[in-house]
Amino acid sequence: MSVPNTMRIGPFLPTILLRKRYLTFYIIIIWGSLIPLFLEFWFYWKFLWDYSRPIHFYTFLPLLIIPMYVTLVLAAIFWAKIVLFFVNLFHKPREGVFLRHYLDKDYRYWCIRNVVKRWPFWLSHRFPFPFMDNVCFKVFGVKTKFSNSLFEGWVDTEFIEFGKNVVVGQGAIVQSSVIIGNLLIIRKTIIEDDVRIGSHSIVMPGTHVGKRCVLAANSVTTVGQNLKEGWIYVGIPAKEYKKNWFFMDGIKEKIGHVGDINEILEKYDKIYLKRIDKMKERRKLKKELKEREKIRWQQEPSEDDLDSIG
Amino acid sequence: MSEVVSEEQQEQKKGTKKKVIREDIRLQYHWYLTIFFIIYYFSWLIPVFLFFGYVNFAFLPYFLEANNFFTIFLDIKSLLSLFLMPLVIVTCYLIRLITVGIFTRIFWRITEKISPTKDGIIPRNIRSKVADYYHIRSFMIKYGKNLFTKGLFPWLAKWFFNFIGASKIGKGTTIEESVGSDKFINVGKNCYVGVNSTLASHLIQGVFGNISYFEIKLGDNVTLAGMNQIGPGSSIHTDSYLLPLASTSKHSIIKGGKNYYFGIPLRKIFKRKIMEFLNLTPEDLEKNENFEEYIQKMKEEKKVKRKNKKSIQEKSIEKENNIKGTEESKKGVKANNEQEKEETNDNYVPDEKDLTLDFTTSSAISRINIKFLAVYFPILWLAGLMVAVYWYDYTRDIENWINTLLFLPLIILAMIYIFIFGVLIFSKLILIVVNLIHKPKEGIFLAEIGDRDYEFWMLRTELKKIPFWLLRNSPLPWLDVIAFRLLGISMDFSSHLTDAWCDGEFIKIGRKVLIGQGATIMSSMVVGKYLIIKKVLFDNYVMVGGHTTIAPGTVMGQDSVIAAISSTTFGQILKPNWIYFGVPAKILKENRYAEERRDIIIKRHVDDEIKLEETHEVNIDEDKKDLIKIGDDE
Repeated sequence: MSVPNTMRIGPFLPTILLRKRYLTFYIIIIWGSLIPLFLEFWFYWKFLWDYSRPIHFYTFLPLLIIPMYVTLVLAAIFWAKIVLFFVNLFHKPREGVFLRHYLDKDYRYWCIRNVVKRWPFWLSHRFPFPFMDNVCFKVFGVKTKFSNSLFEGWVDTEFIEFGKNVVVGQGAIVQSSVIIGNLLIIRKTIIEDDVRIGSHSIVMPGTHVGKRCVLAANSVTTVGQNLKEGWIYVGIPAKEYKKNWFFMDGIKEKIGHVGDINEILEKYDKIYLKRIDKMKERRKLKKELKEREKIRWQQEPSEDDLDSIG
Repeated sequence: MSEVVSEEQQEQKKGTKKKVIREDIRLQYHWYLTIFFIIYYFSWLIPVFLFFGYVNFAFLPYFLEANNFFTIFLDIKSLLSLFLMPLVIVTCYLIRLITVGIFTRIFWRITEKISPTKDGIIPRNIRSKVADYYHIRSFMIKYGKNLFTKGLFPWLAKWFFNFIGASKIGKGTTIEESVGSDKFINVGKNCYVGVNSTLASHLIQGVFGNISYFEIKLGDNVTLAGMNQIGPGSSIHTDSYLLPLASTSKHSIIKGGKNYYFGIPLRKIFKRKIMEFLNLTPEDLEKNENFEEYIQKMKEEKKVKRKNKKSIQEKSIEKENNIKGTEESKKGVKANNEQEKEETNDNYVPDEKDLTLDFTTSSAISRINIKFLAVYFPILWLAGLMVAVYWYDYTRDIENWINTLLFLPLIILAMIYIFIFGVLIFSKLILIVVNLIHKPKEGIFLAEIGDRDYEFWMLRTELKKIPFWLLRNSPLPWLDVIAFRLLGISMDFSSHLTDAWCDGEFIKIGRKVLIGQGATIMSSMVVGKYLIIKKVLFDNYVMVGGHTTIAPGTVMGQDSVIAAISSTTFGQILKPNWIYFGVPAKILKENRYAEERRDIIIKRHVDDEIKLEETHEVNIDEDKKDLIKIGDDE
């Protein structure tokens, strides 16, 4: 799967900054995590740099980047965890309904926690393969297994429990906190084993998703909804659709029987195969099309054109 | 639908039917690139001098050249040069952000003077200056927007948009990262726009249709919970609360006044439903309505301090008890479920209806497998070596430091692309070998380790992921077409996939296809235990809306449109020249955007459920106004 760069994916940390002074935490964590990186680089420089013949230095430099990156993330996790520990000592994170105002202590500390966690999560996600994301999740309090794939959607970073083999779809949101009006609602979300969450669907805080459930694409659950074990849920808000039989053995041939559509597909296939089979023909067709696009005045497609497809 | 036939038919009917202009929009890449290079070059210039000056005069002599590891900590100079280094890096980064802001502002102001932003529909099938400058502006803002919102300090993004004058965002407002929400929006104070909520002030309808470009207005204290799609020209008044996925069409007017909205398209919902959806108690709702009173109370409490603190704690204990109560009830429900399960656990054989795929899930399997590291290592190392050699050659014997540093921004850009294309070429080589061992094929496979097809599918996706990721996160993200063409998607440079999720194989895309922001194009889908792979076909001039899910096996005919926030099902076929909408997608109306009248706007008052027609001037050059259909033409 390839992810567009304009989309926000991965661990979800709201960017609310109540007070500018919270950024001092952020800067301190960044500063502290960069220091071990330079110390590591000092060793590398010390043993491999040579002004007259730097060939070894440059040969192993690309390989150094991966351990350096891992050190950076681990150091960031270390510092953020320490700061978070003290923040949580002042005020323990808890579930409930809070007011979206700086006088509400829970809201204030929720924002501080998000600022503190930002740097390690940002770092671990700024890499083509997110192998450090899981470590971050586990350290900062999301129960998850390495068999889950949670990297294509947004997943909140606290008050969430995952089972095994969970797939969170592209652009799906799994929340434990949501802002609606003047309220901040924080509830624990539990997702059990073998759950598939479709793309662009939203799991609201407090949802309990049973084993082997499917939440289809573009659907929403309500706060505190209980999705029954082994069912497929569709809709806005999500409703029971049918039973999930797709975990049965030996139904490979029966899946996806769609009748007449195969005929039409064949029709389409013919057109495309004609275009793609022979390189010369394909190029010729494309050239013709380009030339036609160049012509300034063009007419709309006719209705007979539609009928030919059926 | 073969093209030869359609052309003949077109020629036959030329005499009988009225002509509609179908010109392509002009994408002026030369302007895009010059503006990008200027912004890019000057943003690097000061940071480069600052960073290398620091490295050369402090970091290198005092820290890197220190003889002993322990002397670093004993000598004050070396210790200081180490401790200041992170701060220098952060400062350089901030300077870069600010210069990008300044230069984008300059270009933005210049284009605004030539062709100012204004409300109106811009025709997409007639070339015009207005459309050109619209495209230049929307390109120009992209680099800065990605840099700010994806970067270390996303809080500065609000400053960026206000500074360049693209939009007005009030104090205390938070706008989370999203694909839109960048230009021509007017947001009030103390709003919250949730993650990936798109305030889309521009909306493209049909490849040869319109661009609706209207300002979006949000009042004070409006909250969008997440994934909300707000159409152009909408105005959401003070104190309206939108639940997740609540979306408006164009020109919707929402009265607000402490009301909740839900659904696609959104509707007002009432107290009982709100409590059901959000699992709230009536007291919580009251809290929301009489928010200011509660805040006053809190302020008084803060003044009295300790005495009243105890009472707050008691309240919180009550709250916790409430939550515990709901949890217990949940457990009760769970126990019931288990009983039901036992009852229905007979030897039932699922029939055809049970096994049809009339729903869509996802294919986002990105498990971390140690095996794959064996592939990553050589790719990253070899590509990194190319960059290292290039860097070595550049810094081998420096005669003039200032010249070297002046050209460094360009060298950095070159190094980025050398690395990316190195990765691309090496992963292509490995992919060829992998495909020789096991040919990729369509079908239904077991999604478990041990199944050969499944394992190779995972390997292929992991292999393709790195070059795709790198190219799409590079300064010029639309170059990803090169990677797509090389690694298995057949497409053309005239189509755009930049803002969409897509699988790396079994996708065929025709000419001039527009795929919306955040759409998902899947040629593979995981359903229960099974992995389904089927080819996805898009014909020419197809349009896919934002946040739409395209399931494997979908075929879209020429000129067909699928609207935003919809999803197709497995093997669905969309007829040419029709618009589809819904979950699952159903026929809505015919695609006639190029022929429609463009001076009429339908305003929807959501609270009163009224539609009103209004006229609005079409936004096009003065000399081309006679080309559009206006008034009583027919």
